[in-house]
Amino acid sequence: MQALQSLVLGALPTYPIAQSVPLSPLVILVLCVVAGVGTVLLLPSRREASLNKIGGAILLAAGLIFAALLVRLTAGQAKGGMGPYFWIFSAIAIISAIRVVTHPKPVYSALYFILTVFASAGLFLLLWAEFMAAALVLIYAGAILVTYVFVIMLASEAAQPGAASRGFLEHDQVSKDPAIAAAVGFALMGVMLFVIFDKAQEPQVAASIRPASPTPQLAAEQIAPARTGHDGDGGNVFYGEGSVNFQHSAAQPIVAGSTQELGVFLFQKHLINVELAGLILTVSMIGAIVIARRRVIGDTNTSGMDVMVAPATPIDDNPHSIPVMGTRDPRQKEYPET
Amino acid sequence: MDTLSLLGLQHYLSVGTIMFAIGMIGFMCRRNLIVMFLCTELMFQGVAINLIAFGRYHGNLSGQAFVIFVLVIAAAEASLALGLVVLLFRQKATLDADAWRELRG
Repeated sequence: MQALQSLVLGALPTYPIAQSVPLSPLVILVLCVVAGVGTVLLLPSRREASLNKIGGAILLAAGLIFAALLVRLTAGQAKGGMGPYFWIFSAIAIISAIRVVTHPKPVYSALYFILTVFASAGLFLLLWAEFMAAALVLIYAGAILVTYVFVIMLASEAAQPGAASRGFLEHDQVSKDPAIAAAVGFALMGVMLFVIFDKAQEPQVAASIRPASPTPQLAAEQIAPARTGHDGDGGNVFYGEGSVNFQHSAAQPIVAGSTQELGVFLFQKHLINVELAGLILTVSMIGAIVIARRRVIGDTNTSGMDVMVAPATPIDDNPHSIPVMGTRDPRQKEYPET
Repeated sequence: MDTLSLLGLQHYLSVGTIMFAIGMIGFMCRRNLIVMFLCTELMFQGVAINLIAFGRYHGNLSGQAFVIFVLVIAAAEASLALGLVVLLFRQKATLDADAWRELRG
């Protein structure tokens, strides 16, 4: 990990103002057009497989040219540019993303997306966001995508037999307006790439925004005073009087960029957002249960109560169509009849 | 925390941009409802890479905190979207988005 970090460490605090020749907009435009043509050929449609492969080759060529231009940009740097892990992870991520979009079978799309998530987690690791990499793998690949695979399996239809369909469903095999979609998507991508590469030099404004790369000691000193507050109080301001003794916080500084620092940052600055996030998750869980529910059948072993079979969601937006558990006597209803 | 150079930031931003654009193309192209929602998740991935790169560039943790909330919203949206897809599939026994063409305004 040390070798990896030394390989990936960004530029020194002092570096020349005019860094490199930026990518000209014409080059970006040409690359986007070429890649757009390749993508349109790759998207699912009823054509021969050889055309798909030609489209893939065109797209790969455009991607390699773009990568070569980026490498050429970094060649003028003092530090040598991005390490090999960046190229590996981004190549896997982008190729998997293209396969997610262009594969005719939904199960394979989900599996390629899991590969994309792993590659993104690798990119997060390179950016020193270890907790986010782990959270991405756990939450995205482990929960959300597994749910997608389950639903794909549950909501599956049989393909029409016949040579023309090649075993795929008709709506999976033909895409809707691939040329227009690719044109719009690559237009947006071209504009965004142009904006990204338009900054030819580091502006003086950014120098005031970005901090002057503090060391981990400094980061600890910035955090520790916020928690100690009073002198000689042992750092009890944040955690209540005498509850936790934090005399050792000066001896064990928080490593910059670690999970501990992220936790402190979240619960000091974004406490309300964290609570709201939990609320959103609860609401969505309740909503998902309500949406996907079938008819509700009353209890059969409760004495003295009617067994009724009734819909669980209102019919025609009439809330009185949902029966109240209990009796059929309208005078016993819990809400007034309007 | 050591910071990223502008050129490194450009590298990561272009990766995030490309993933977002690919997700958008897939969302507009594909007719399978589940694959359409999968492409929205791909757009979330691109945005997450951008946010983390900016966080590292500016040297603070706001990028990572924002990505945590993006993940929360993605999970909530995925659960609701899949519930709706299951409901729609029960109605028409197909996952084709064109089957619901009469809903177009």
